[in-house]
Amino acid sequence: MNTGHVISGAGHIGLIGWLFFGANFAPTPEPFQVNEVAMISGAEFEAMLAGTTPPEAVTDMVLPVPPETPPPPQPAPAVSPPPAAVPAPAPSPVPSPEQPPVPPAAQPMPPSDVQDAPPQIAPPPQEQAVLAPDISDRPSPRPAPRVAPEPVATPEPDTKVDDIVQEAATPAPSPDPAQQKQEATAPEAATTEIVTEAAEKPSAAPVSSVRPRARPNRPEATETTEAVAQPQPQAEAPAPDTTRDAVQDALQQAMADAAATADAAQPAYSGPPISAGERDALRVAVQKCWNVGSLSTDALRTTVVVSVSMTEDGKPVVPSIRMRSFSGGSQASAQQAFDSARRAIIRCGTRGYDLPAEKYALWQEIEMTFNPEKMRIK
Amino acid sequence: MQRLLSLLCCLALLALGAVPGQAQQQSGPLRIEITEGVIEPLPFALPSFVAETAGAQDLADQISRVVAADLVGTGLFREIPQTAFISSLTSFASPVQFADWRAINAQALIAGAVALGSGGRLTVKFRLYDVFAGQEMGDGLQFDGTQEGWRRMAHKVADVVYSRITGEGPYFDSRVVFVAETGTKGERKKRLAIMDYDGFGASYLTDSATIVLAPRFSPTGDRVLYTSYETGFPRIYLLDVANVGRRELPIPAGEMAFSPRFSPDARTVVFSLTQGGNTDIWRMDLNGANPQRLTNAPSIETAPSFSPDGSQIVFESDRSGTQQLYIMPATGGEARRISFGQGRYGSPVWSPRGDLIAFTKQSKGRFHIGVMRLDGSEERLLTASFLDESPSWAPNGRVIMFTRETQGAGGMASLYSVDISGRNLKRVRTETGASDPAWSPLLP
Repeated sequence: MNTGHVISGAGHIGLIGWLFFGANFAPTPEPFQVNEVAMISGAEFEAMLAGTTPPEAVTDMVLPVPPETPPPPQPAPAVSPPPAAVPAPAPSPVPSPEQPPVPPAAQPMPPSDVQDAPPQIAPPPQEQAVLAPDISDRPSPRPAPRVAPEPVATPEPDTKVDDIVQEAATPAPSPDPAQQKQEATAPEAATTEIVTEAAEKPSAAPVSSVRPRARPNRPEATETTEAVAQPQPQAEAPAPDTTRDAVQDALQQAMADAAATADAAQPAYSGPPISAGERDALRVAVQKCWNVGSLSTDALRTTVVVSVSMTEDGKPVVPSIRMRSFSGGSQASAQQAFDSARRAIIRCGTRGYDLPAEKYALWQEIEMTFNPEKMRIK
Repeated sequence: MQRLLSLLCCLALLALGAVPGQAQQQSGPLRIEITEGVIEPLPFALPSFVAETAGAQDLADQISRVVAADLVGTGLFREIPQTAFISSLTSFASPVQFADWRAINAQALIAGAVALGSGGRLTVKFRLYDVFAGQEMGDGLQFDGTQEGWRRMAHKVADVVYSRITGEGPYFDSRVVFVAETGTKGERKKRLAIMDYDGFGASYLTDSATIVLAPRFSPTGDRVLYTSYETGFPRIYLLDVANVGRRELPIPAGEMAFSPRFSPDARTVVFSLTQGGNTDIWRMDLNGANPQRLTNAPSIETAPSFSPDGSQIVFESDRSGTQQLYIMPATGGEARRISFGQGRYGSPVWSPRGDLIAFTKQSKGRFHIGVMRLDGSEERLLTASFLDESPSWAPNGRVIMFTRETQGAGGMASLYSVDISGRNLKRVRTETGASDPAWSPLLP
């Protein structure tokens, strides 16, 4: 406390002292640089003015002319081949309806008429360049008819649509007669969001931006709340936070590792949980077939909870698929949403979902919540 | 630092005891949440409808094609080509081999039959199947009508299929009144015309002797209000679609009357009237009684459009110095501005659902068709071109039809439609130039 006062007092005294006496300690001023000024007589001044005025007069008089006078010699040779006269200043097509009459008339016309053309022609190409895509009455092509969580490039024309990417292969002539011909397959082309015409650039070039992905390995709130709540009582801000993401990543990794360790330690089933990775694999498999493109705007506001029984080979039992509950919409919209969810479960489950057979008891019954909030028209 | 400590604590807890805890918690079914899906056209199979009587095969084929075209035209469906079919439907009553349709990834199957009865009566029946669920979606339906009305019957079938799968209201069995344009830009002839929503069955309602503008359907679809320069000045006319009879509305005295629109109950009409150089919005009964001035400002107020419940009116005004959108009570009174974005907003139209307002926006030298919420939020521009204007809603409020005009002396106006998601922008088939579309309600 006293130290602070002492320092403050000393500083203030020093400042006041410098204000009063500082001038006495000022360094000696640097020497002036003196420029000599010559005196001239009135006659010399007149002569000087007379020498400077003509150039000004010349600039006033000539300046407008030079920009216009130089062009004539340039267009002049262009006038001789009339069709080349207009393309020279404006490379883009369609100068304007008024321009075509000028080139034929340009031959008898003096070059001065041609002089007016360049400045007039110059601006339109810019406008035309901007508006060129609108002239076509063909709508700009959409980037891809399919919108999916992850973008997929357009496959080769002969490629068969499939979830698995594989190259085409033909059986070798002699070594392995058992090898069969294999078709090239690739996922269907997809973009990540609907791109309206208004959102596209005027050049009509397809534009897409990646939809922010949900974090894939986020643990279920019901399972992690207890573990997280005790050591971290302070509520985190809902805003995105890289540190928080890092914590979540670490938690997920730790959970996955712990689950893997548990699996390794218990080869026979005795209650190992479904790991986050297995859970995510199932989620990704179902969402690939969850097509909400044909749902009404009301159905896109409806969340449905669907239960399904599974066979041991990972296939859904179709008659067991039921809507447990719904929220956010009417009964009719819930039915549309349920139909869509049911199609997704069945379609992607025809080959059986990739689930660990030893944990069948854990996924024999599955309850899936289909929440289309991220897929709504926005 | 605190965060780091908590992280370490978490990791320690997880390593020590979280795994058994998890195993204990997972006593019920496995629960997952799906929050992301795909948006793509739903593939459907539509084998040609079965002809149940002799001579009905051509009609059956044509009806099948119209149904498919309706569905595909929405952008929400994709037809699987018939060459990919594994099995066929030879009879309307034969059982469906779902495995065959699953194999070609058909998610919906439409099976139908057509019969031509005596006196030219046509019967069309169909069933819709959810292939992967292996069951019928709703009950089969049957439509009866005249042979001449086969296109409408096809639209009806498509409407039911569309509604059952998407949950949206139907809109295929509807008509569009518009201004047909012929001739060069300097000598353009304009006539009122009407057509099916898909551009077929067009016919003219007026001749090309005078300029006509901005037709608007009545809520029942049997009458049309429009503006005509028949007297040399814009006046409002009421036209009966069935007999093409028309009469001028007894508008209060003024230099110009234009931009009419019916109220939802079809009893009153709102319009713009210019008196002494000032344009305001008026309302009156269809027979001319009870004229009422709804706005009274020195600015230009025009393009009124009722809310579906008839309680409010959205309109455009330049009272703030630039053209913006406002909403006021249907009886007049204080208006609140709802558009605040950059650029000029005009020609607002209230959605039949009541949740959105479509508008034209001019910004940075380009025109847009867009939609916004009633409070002006969630503005979404759907199109962009040299000139887009005159939006009109489909009866189900899911699609917007509008005018797009191309640039230059040879520019021509044509009709386009776009889904409110911004997808499926496409040109509507018309035989001439076309502008000012007005979508009818669903036909009875």
